[in-house]
Amino acid sequence: MTDLTQTTPSPALRWWNLSAVLGRVGLHLVIFLGILAAWEAAGRFGLFNDYLVPRPSRIATAIGRLYVTQGAIYWHFFVTLFEAVAGFLVAAAVGIGLAVASALNESFRRYVAPYAIVLNVTPALALTPIVIAWFGFGWSSKIALGAIIAFFPIFVNTLTGLMETDADRHEMFRSLGAKNRQLFWKLRLPAALPMIFAGLKIGMTSALVGVIVAEFTQATEGVGVLMNRYSFQLDMASAIATLLSMSLMGLLLFTLMEILDDRIVFWRRDARMAAVGKARARRALSWRTKPAAARKD
Amino acid sequence: MNSIAIDRSSAAARPVPARPRVVGGVSAGETVIEARGVTKTFGDGSVVALEGASFEAKKGEFISLVGPSGCGKSTLLRIISGLIPKTGGSLSVHGREVTEPRSDIGMMFQKATLLEWRTAIENVLLPTELQRRVTADDKRRAAELLHMVGLKDFEFAFPRQLSGGMQQRVALARLLQTGADILLLDEPFGALDEFTRERLNVELMRVVAEVGGTTFFVTHNIQEAIFLADRVMVMTPRPGRLAKIVDVPFERPRDLSIQQSPEFNALVSEVRDVLGGH
Repeated sequence: MTDLTQTTPSPALRWWNLSAVLGRVGLHLVIFLGILAAWEAAGRFGLFNDYLVPRPSRIATAIGRLYVTQGAIYWHFFVTLFEAVAGFLVAAAVGIGLAVASALNESFRRYVAPYAIVLNVTPALALTPIVIAWFGFGWSSKIALGAIIAFFPIFVNTLTGLMETDADRHEMFRSLGAKNRQLFWKLRLPAALPMIFAGLKIGMTSALVGVIVAEFTQATEGVGVLMNRYSFQLDMASAIATLLSMSLMGLLLFTLMEILDDRIVFWRRDARMAAVGKARARRALSWRTKPAAARKD
Repeated sequence: MNSIAIDRSSAAARPVPARPRVVGGVSAGETVIEARGVTKTFGDGSVVALEGASFEAKKGEFISLVGPSGCGKSTLLRIISGLIPKTGGSLSVHGREVTEPRSDIGMMFQKATLLEWRTAIENVLLPTELQRRVTADDKRRAAELLHMVGLKDFEFAFPRQLSGGMQQRVALARLLQTGADILLLDEPFGALDEFTRERLNVELMRVVAEVGGTTFFVTHNIQEAIFLADRVMVMTPRPGRLAKIVDVPFERPRDLSIQQSPEFNALVSEVRDVLGGH
């Protein structure tokens, strides 16, 4: 049977190499706890104003209040997450759609690209009041601003990826009599996927920024609203707890994109590539004639 | 080689492939390519890339095109492939004038031009996939071709997992998968190291003989050109011109040791004399 384990170099660090991993994690923990302890001590001995720079234990209490005793954050967390994902999806659909159209049609590219660039050089966050005036105080204005901010990196990356197909492979496809449609689906699009995903990753985090800024400006729900409320009340511990929730949200969305990237653009990473190769070898058993006990000499 | 014997036994168990296979190859007699005064100019006609090349090729023949940069050898190959149009003369393959890329003419490039998101066998299947739906028979055929080029255990390896030489073997298998019987090779092993190139050259001769293809092989290495070919088309630059066609009388299959023989060296001198005048 095909055995790729002999041909693929094993990754330098094996995750199951437990002692090495534990050692590294342990060091991280020591540093992190050390910083927290120093901060805590400084707060208790009055080196900081404890209202403006709350010490870790007070932030922890605030987190407990937000997530456990009051549970106030869940709805807001969900609203912001939903708005960010929705904004991102709109931006991805429009951005990739326009980029594909621009890549396929030169005059379309000539007449559309300038608007995209004007949109890019305009400080998008400055659009917030206008967007809110247009779309209202509800969710749609947040989704719209998230989409506007996420659009440009997705559009530009997709267009760049689609335009930089290398001439040799293009010629190879032509020599095989490929039609334009095949050239697009089998060469240009897959070759552009790494670039497209880089754009989508930036777009995802940008959408979150757009949504939260819109919430700061005018909203009734979302973590941005919570943040505003706690800051006005000078409840800095809760404000920081909310900020940490935003980081968590960003991390969540980014990790999701990383996983998708890893799955779809698998050929960029050795370990994933080896796994995909093995999976395809297994699936191929249906048509493959097994070499009759033949071993290479 | 053992792997070839296995190929044949597995081939017996399945339907015969649709395309013709002539084993042995050399000079079956029938003329498959006829070129008369093939010319390529650029711009208003003042830049001449190739000037009036006339030649014929018989079925199963191996022809090398040798010459320095700018002699028009790659241009000529691309005209035969239908990738670029000629500006004068006539060129017919299998009795039909070449005007665009065709399924009976296949091309292989200096770069392997593999798709890195496809496994070796998926890369080999690309030509079929562009023409029609891929069947289980096509897949078995592709696996057989990979065996033939010495990549028996690498069907599901991705290009990045393969060395440069192995990538070119995949490209060769892909060329054979097209079913074309006119094989055009543009310095296919030019980017590889000397040792790998010599070994691949020997295997190339074996493989094309096995499928009975008529082969055009572009190179700028005189020894390589003579070692591989039944005939060497010597080309000179400014303007690109087919200066001379040299017959190579050595029997096939050939061994690398013929390169030490006086006859071989006489051929090298003959080619070098033609090129030396420029």
